[in-house]
Amino acid sequence: MQSLNVNNLTFEYKEHSSIFQNVNIAFPLHRFNLLVGPSGSGKSTLLKIIAGLYPQFGGQLITGDVTITDVNLTTKKHQVAMLFQNPNQQFTMNTPRNELIFVLENLQVDPTQMDAKIDAALAFVDCAELANRNFNTLSGGEKQKVALAVIVAMDSPVILLDEPFASVDPTAREYLLTKLTKLRDEHHKTIILAEHDLHGYQSIADQVFQINPGANNIVPLEQTARENLFNQFKSTSSTATISLPADIDEPVISLINVELKQQDKPLLKQAEFSFFKDKITLITGENGIGKSTLFNAIIKLMPYQGQITLNDRDIKSIKQKKLARQVGLVFQDAEDQFLSITVTEEIELSKKHRITNYFTDQLIAESLANLNLAKHLDQVVYSLSDGQKKKLQILLMLISGQPILLLDEPLKGLDISSLATVLALIKKSSQKQHQSIIMISHQLTKLAGWVDYHVSFEHQRLTYQEVL
Amino acid sequence: MNASMKLLLVLLISLEVSFTHSLSANLLLISASLIYLLIHRTSLKAIMFLALVPFLPALGLFVTIYYFSPGQDLHFAWVLFTRMYVYVTVGASFTLTSTPLELALSLEQNWHLPSKFAYGTLAAFNMLPKIKSAIVTIRTAGLMRGVVLSWWSPQLYFKAILVALNWSENLAQAMISHGFVEDQPRTFYRQIKVTGLDYGFLLGILVMIQLPIWLLP
Repeated sequence: MQSLNVNNLTFEYKEHSSIFQNVNIAFPLHRFNLLVGPSGSGKSTLLKIIAGLYPQFGGQLITGDVTITDVNLTTKKHQVAMLFQNPNQQFTMNTPRNELIFVLENLQVDPTQMDAKIDAALAFVDCAELANRNFNTLSGGEKQKVALAVIVAMDSPVILLDEPFASVDPTAREYLLTKLTKLRDEHHKTIILAEHDLHGYQSIADQVFQINPGANNIVPLEQTARENLFNQFKSTSSTATISLPADIDEPVISLINVELKQQDKPLLKQAEFSFFKDKITLITGENGIGKSTLFNAIIKLMPYQGQITLNDRDIKSIKQKKLARQVGLVFQDAEDQFLSITVTEEIELSKKHRITNYFTDQLIAESLANLNLAKHLDQVVYSLSDGQKKKLQILLMLISGQPILLLDEPLKGLDISSLATVLALIKKSSQKQHQSIIMISHQLTKLAGWVDYHVSFEHQRLTYQEVL
Repeated sequence: MNASMKLLLVLLISLEVSFTHSLSANLLLISASLIYLLIHRTSLKAIMFLALVPFLPALGLFVTIYYFSPGQDLHFAWVLFTRMYVYVTVGASFTLTSTPLELALSLEQNWHLPSKFAYGTLAAFNMLPKIKSAIVTIRTAGLMRGVVLSWWSPQLYFKAILVALNWSENLAQAMISHGFVEDQPRTFYRQIKVTGLDYGFLLGILVMIQLPIWLLP
């Protein structure tokens, strides 16, 4: 069978510590290939090497090349299209239509054919209505849809996707997955997708490749290993029961007649709602429905109508500086949280102004070891992998110790073993430090056991749910 | 009018006005620009803003010349006062009626600006609203860790520069993965041409303003 081959690949970021050593892989063409492995194992790196972005943008290629049916990829342009993890920095132009024009111009498409191609690409992912909206007004999921439309328009034979659904809700995720299968089946595309959250892939993926960081190699999984892997993600297909708030629960953040809008689009209209003290509350809801905006309103970064109270006090009467010591926000983008340079410096900064003394030096050291960060203490935070950044970010904010902690997608980009460690850390810290936790997550695998309450955000309303 | 030709015209007018002192010509240019802006349906609010912004520097010039210069030349004081407004209104006739996209496309297609610069700048321009919110985010992140980052704090700008560097690298990767190859020919969806009419306007307007500039006081 014809394949996309990675030959004798040795690649390193730092001298003498290679991330891949003499790796050989053959991704079969016209198939859906799934690339799995723990965070930091080099999934993004491999995809960027195939896309030709590395070593141009980082790292050193010691040996090796990438070929499709014996033709070297560096000599043949426009064979590979890539969709990135971060939906925010993948567009040059201001609107989806202009971006698509830019892309087609790059590919030297005849201008008279462009309109048809653009309309077809937008229609393929059902987002014709977004064509002339400014990117700054689109949600993460909407941007990923547009990014897929760009890939459809580019019509490259190979499509690489680097955790494309990290900020996408389950409905949109399922939708995009069916579109990807359609690209494979009807347009004969070769798809290589790197992912942590594997549910929904069992029936779609033709081949699963696992990166083993210790062994420095990448192997296709056999049938049994493959099934074991997917079984870890089975639990979400059944719904778990979750209790509703009890009368004795003490409200900590309350919304009274709150109205939230974004560019005149109403997001939330809520007469009365409360989050409760010392509980872990999960908020779920579709992309762009306003979950992050709600968090921003609670920390006064977003204007709203009505009243939001914190322990019965209107937050409008609390100074931003004081409020920040009461309510902490774990940003969706981990890098937003960082203020220093190395991991150690970040930890020191969090320790300096922490509110409780729960995190002793010993506990911090233990937590770093549990999160597999102990070896990265002197590393520049921006050079960590996305999963590592996320884990560090959560630890930093837990050390800070605000009585209320808002977590926006804290599980984004985490592999399944880190997931349990992070959730355990959050749970324990919140119990010991008496923290009320409110978290947004699209990733629901294994979550039911960790949260106290589940709130769904739909039809511009928040409501407590009995199932997850 | 073609965006880059318009920019050239605006620059030439501003340059010439800097070396002349005809009050009537200045007033004429201000009125012509205002009429042009009104034709392009510029909001009255924007025009009021244009009137307000240069007022203090213009007044400063006026006062300096009229009260503190040895000659106390009232005519020259007015020339300098109106000159400020010429810069602002003529400049606005360009900025408020053309988009960065139009200018970038014109510079790329008509003046052979390397497309790397044209689209790189455009991408950076589209990022501007995000830079503002990034600064707010950095300050909030600081407050949540107990660090107050004031507007003059070096830490705030250090972090902002890091963010910008990171964005620029991601954007460069995104451009490449969206098919952009440096120095490779591209097709153009919107064909931007410099027509005879554009040259006509440029030369015609330049010639027309020479009369008042050199003949009227």
